[in-house]
Amino acid sequence: MDTMTLDAAGQTAASQPESAEREAVDTNTSKTVGKPFCDDAKMRMRNVNVFYGETQAIHDISLDIGCNEVVAMIGPSGCGKSTFLRCLNRMNDTIEDCRVEGELTLDGEPIYGQKVDVVPLRARVGMVFQKPNPFPKSIYENVAYGPKIHGIARRRAELDEIVENSLRRAGLWNEVKDRLDQPGTGLSGGQQQRLCIARAIAVSPEVILMDEPCSALDPIATARIEELINELRENYTIAIVTHSMQQAARVSQRTAYFHLGRLVEVNDTETVFTNPQHELTEAYITGRFG
Amino acid sequence: MTDTNRNLTQEQVRQRIEQHLASRHRKEKVFRGLGIASVAFGILAVLVLFTDIISKGSGAFVQSAIQLEVTYDPLVLGIDKVDEESLTWANFTGVIREALRERFPKVQSRSEKRELYSLVSSGAPFTLRKRLQSDPELLGKTQTVWLTADDDVDTFVKSLSDSKEGFRGRTSDQKAEWIQQLIDSGELKKRFNTTFFTQGDSREPEQAGIRAALLGSFFTLLVTLVLSFPIGVAAAIYLEEYAPKNKWTDLIEVNINNLAAVPSIVFGLLGLAIFINFFELPRSAPLVGGLVLTLMTLPTIIISSRAALKAVPPSIREAALGLGASRMQTIFHHVLPLAMPGMLTGAIIGMAQALGETAPLLMIGMVAFIVDVPTGITDPATVLPVQIFLWADSPERAFVERTSAAIMVLLSFLIAMNTAAVLLRKKLERRW
Amino acid sequence: MEMHFDQHISRQFNEDLESIKTEMLEMGGLVARQVADAVDALSNADSELAEKVLRAEEEIDKREMALDEHATLIIAKRQPAASDLRMVMSVTRIARDLERIGDEASKVAKMAIALTDEGSSPRGYTEIRHIANAVRKMLNDALDAYTRFDVIAAMRTLTEDEKVDMDYRTAVRELITYMMEDPRSISRVINVLWILRSLERIGDHAKNICEQVVYLVEGADIRHGHEDKLKTK
Repeated sequence: MDTMTLDAAGQTAASQPESAEREAVDTNTSKTVGKPFCDDAKMRMRNVNVFYGETQAIHDISLDIGCNEVVAMIGPSGCGKSTFLRCLNRMNDTIEDCRVEGELTLDGEPIYGQKVDVVPLRARVGMVFQKPNPFPKSIYENVAYGPKIHGIARRRAELDEIVENSLRRAGLWNEVKDRLDQPGTGLSGGQQQRLCIARAIAVSPEVILMDEPCSALDPIATARIEELINELRENYTIAIVTHSMQQAARVSQRTAYFHLGRLVEVNDTETVFTNPQHELTEAYITGRFG
Repeated sequence: MTDTNRNLTQEQVRQRIEQHLASRHRKEKVFRGLGIASVAFGILAVLVLFTDIISKGSGAFVQSAIQLEVTYDPLVLGIDKVDEESLTWANFTGVIREALRERFPKVQSRSEKRELYSLVSSGAPFTLRKRLQSDPELLGKTQTVWLTADDDVDTFVKSLSDSKEGFRGRTSDQKAEWIQQLIDSGELKKRFNTTFFTQGDSREPEQAGIRAALLGSFFTLLVTLVLSFPIGVAAAIYLEEYAPKNKWTDLIEVNINNLAAVPSIVFGLLGLAIFINFFELPRSAPLVGGLVLTLMTLPTIIISSRAALKAVPPSIREAALGLGASRMQTIFHHVLPLAMPGMLTGAIIGMAQALGETAPLLMIGMVAFIVDVPTGITDPATVLPVQIFLWADSPERAFVERTSAAIMVLLSFLIAMNTAAVLLRKKLERRW
Repeated sequence: MEMHFDQHISRQFNEDLESIKTEMLEMGGLVARQVADAVDALSNADSELAEKVLRAEEEIDKREMALDEHATLIIAKRQPAASDLRMVMSVTRIARDLERIGDEASKVAKMAIALTDEGSSPRGYTEIRHIANAVRKMLNDALDAYTRFDVIAAMRTLTEDEKVDMDYRTAVRELITYMMEDPRSISRVINVLWILRSLERIGDHAKNICEQVVYLVEGADIRHGHEDKLKTK
């Protein structure tokens, strides 16, 4: 098969003969291809390195997450996308001998550092996990927990309002309004995950991190969550890690492809799924690994 | 799947599986049989133990008593009014002897009289004293009372139901005849043995009870529970949730596991050396017993609590942390409620272990002969298993059944505690 | 970027993609044959060959439908992305162009029959032969570029179309002059004009195929004069 070559950055036209494309293949030295930065960045990450003890899980990643934008992070298992996501609200703090280096800011304020209190940070950067993990408490308690511990609601009526609003925004209100006192774990998988989203937005975060939120759900529940993500985008900035490329294609504006702890390519989602610029991205999204 | 195995056709493979199947089934059956046999053996052993103990011990719950016409004669008693001082030296023994002589007027010789007097327990005068104390009007009057029989009489009476002759022991023919007479006339009956539950230890079997030992066990366990549960849970939480994983915590973990395997008598020696000799805490007291048992049960509680904490799904922790809950909030709001059933089960099992523990308590003097019922954690006391040990050591035959009865009480407490553990677990383990 | 369609984890996917590509190229070969036969029938006044071209038309339509079906199935089953997606899209688009080329070839064949029946007066045949050669070469080159994922060849072929268009305009002008000189020949010359028109359309379709080669390899849609998209990349 004859080959048509392009520089990984896609700067050369078709007429230019094959030149420096060998470098693009070499993942160890390659820089991120595409558009990792944006002008109205909500969160800015620069030269982030993450270590687990001696092993480096993330190599020099720089990425912006823009306001009211959904950024999808895709990549094969163990590529560091979840690790990177967890850096954004310091969930990695709980993991022993996990070290995060680099400059990470939220609205220009550093996330890491001696003086930064992780509690308000996590109120601003909420998280939804892979497995729906409602507390073994009532639906109401689940949603009310965040506002309670942060002292957001002054009165019971206020708390009721927050709970109702959060459940409404998560598209769950009509399904659960008559059984708020029943256990959250009694809901179906998809409902549980929406409850977890309601719980996360109850503390009015600015950024929501989602770590494979649909991996345990059936297609219909998945479609609901995806629809919800689309709606939430108006008010929140969302970063979502997903194993489903179709999902990334459907919900995100930009897609970041991770490979072996490196950020290989970030581009508009349309570009990534029709004409990725890096051949590793191409190989991944077309199912050519092996 | 056509060429999974190049050398064998599917048909051949199927045949081999078929042939192999028979031996597989056989092995399965043998294994199941072995399992059933071991369970059956276990149940049999428990049944034998229980029937033995129950058959031996059930007698202790009844006690022979003799009906006598007692006259509170001021002359015999040697007092003229009822007050504290006169009651202490009033001669109630004389009153009883008088009553016995009246019942059996033919008795004349000294030796016969001594025989006669020994029908009634040496504790009987105290019964009379109590009666008179509660009702001073009785002075000078005659009353029909049931007095506890002597242990030899009791043993003989109880053995009559087994054989015609009965177990005589020190009982003479003469005495046996009197007893027979009393039984025939309905003046000797087996009544419920309240003494066994209301009195402390005694050298006389008919006056010996387990109340002191029960309360001693209660106070000891109270101290143990109050100390070991909070300390154990706190240690477990720290080790599981806070402590960094390094060689120090590894060392601590190994040592805790080792501690759980240390023979309990070593803890007794430790208690003796530290609590009694160094801190000079009172000897034989439930306080020291509780402290020693705390040392012993701590590893059990820490290990089971850590297991319970480990079993809490990490997703719950993540959920709470992800919402911005602090570590302590996460633990107290979410982790602990979920781990509580497991922790409580561990604690109750630890307590049950402590309840049955003897060896370390011997070292700190809880083996002493203690008649008085303890009223607090610093009073000298003994505990149920030690009481069992003491009675098993006593020569009187009547102590045999009391030993078994005490074992029954101990076992029923253990069963009750284990049941409580199961119920508590069920109740707390609400499946949300 | 290299184009490899035989490295998917799913072997079946490899085969599916390979087979639609092969089917499309086979169809391309068939269509090229049709064009050649139609032109030959005309220049040799061979109405039998022209009839054959008309009969083969049906086969091409069938192939287009089969190819569409096949591509739909791949999309439904595999949700292809990136180069795979472009491959499937380009194959369906090219199939459409090929089918249209087939239609144009039939038209030429019909005209050949009509012209043969009327008897010869080979006015305009030189132009026909000239343009026919040019578009046949274009078509073959386009399919060839597709086979080899050769963007450079495709771009080269693309520019050929301008020449064909120019030749066509010149020929039309010439034939109009002729018709004005000799009004009796108008009906015949109009038939010749129709043939030229068909050939010119075939050239356009060949150009479309080249554009699909660029789309497949580069991911740039340069149709309707958007060649700049490729340049800015």
